[in-house]
Amino acid sequence: MMRPSPTLDDESLIAVLRLASGQDPVPGHVSAAARAAFALRLPGAVAARPVVVPAPAGVRSAEQSCLLRFDAGALTVDLEVGSSDGLVDLAGQISPWPGAGSWVEVRTPCLTESRELSQAGQFAVTGLPPGWFSVVCHHRDHPPVATSWTRIRP
Amino acid sequence: MSNVIPETQVIDRRTIDAVLAGDQAAWDLVVKRFDPLVWAAVRAYGLSAADAADAMQGAWLRLVENLHTIHDPGRIGAWLFTTARREASLLRRRNQGERLVADPVEPGGADEHAPPDPALAVLAADEGRRLWQTVETMHEPCRSLLRLMAASPDAGVHQLAGRLGMPAGSYGPTRGRCLDRLRSMLTVQETTA
Repeated sequence: MMRPSPTLDDESLIAVLRLASGQDPVPGHVSAAARAAFALRLPGAVAARPVVVPAPAGVRSAEQSCLLRFDAGALTVDLEVGSSDGLVDLAGQISPWPGAGSWVEVRTPCLTESRELSQAGQFAVTGLPPGWFSVVCHHRDHPPVATSWTRIRP
Repeated sequence: MSNVIPETQVIDRRTIDAVLAGDQAAWDLVVKRFDPLVWAAVRAYGLSAADAADAMQGAWLRLVENLHTIHDPGRIGAWLFTTARREASLLRRRNQGERLVADPVEPGGADEHAPPDPALAVLAADEGRRLWQTVETMHEPCRSLLRLMAASPDAGVHQLAGRLGMPAGSYGPTRGRCLDRLRSMLTVQETTA
């Protein structure tokens, strides 16, 4: 068996001590959420990975919104994240426009919102709960494209 | 100390194949096997129960999106542990005032190319027991401090310091010294084993 390494950081040591003492059981709702996460799997989806976006000049104050970009090779998902009343608003752009009959789903662990894409490839969803979300773009004759799960807290 | 990771509960290729085929029961087995590990990983960052739940959910969501990249079922625990620690670390940075509206993500595949987390060596139940045996040989205040730290995951610094009879400002530095000392003792055991 391997022996502990001196490179163990404090958090690892604390985790191992707590795990072995068994005095911090996982709350039932947390385990339930982990089991429920399986329903969000999307076999065959193409992953859109986050890429760094240079902050463009002239957009609204960075304190009010932020821009995220996800790249899936043939398709890019741009998101502007805003918030109001503690809820999250998303305005998105799929480029290039995937064509007629394409739509997006904005998924969170507790709800999914579907939107048709405008001819310009745009969509918007407001009032999402803060937390984890993923945007899935469905387009005809292609596998869906899904952004990596991203956590947003206003 | 209870054996919280039954070593018999091995997640093998067959379980993963069932998960990939959409078998919820097989997924539930994976969750049951690694839930305590992931929870301990995120809670070690001093997060509230709500933030810890958030970080933990992130680790499971990442596993769901990277399921198809699993080549070695034996590495799922390592991958989850590392991923959960990363999410927890980001959340703590945020709570400490860093501005991260959406956390940077660099999800990688759940495969054997992820560097092994050093903590994993001590995650086996036997090693956990050995760790506690070492703690029991430590002098005060370390022995009491580490026992209390493990037993009261939700206690704040003031509460912990009060119960140890030390000023609140001393708790953090003392804990750091105790963990350093524990690390040194483990290293000595390692070299003399």
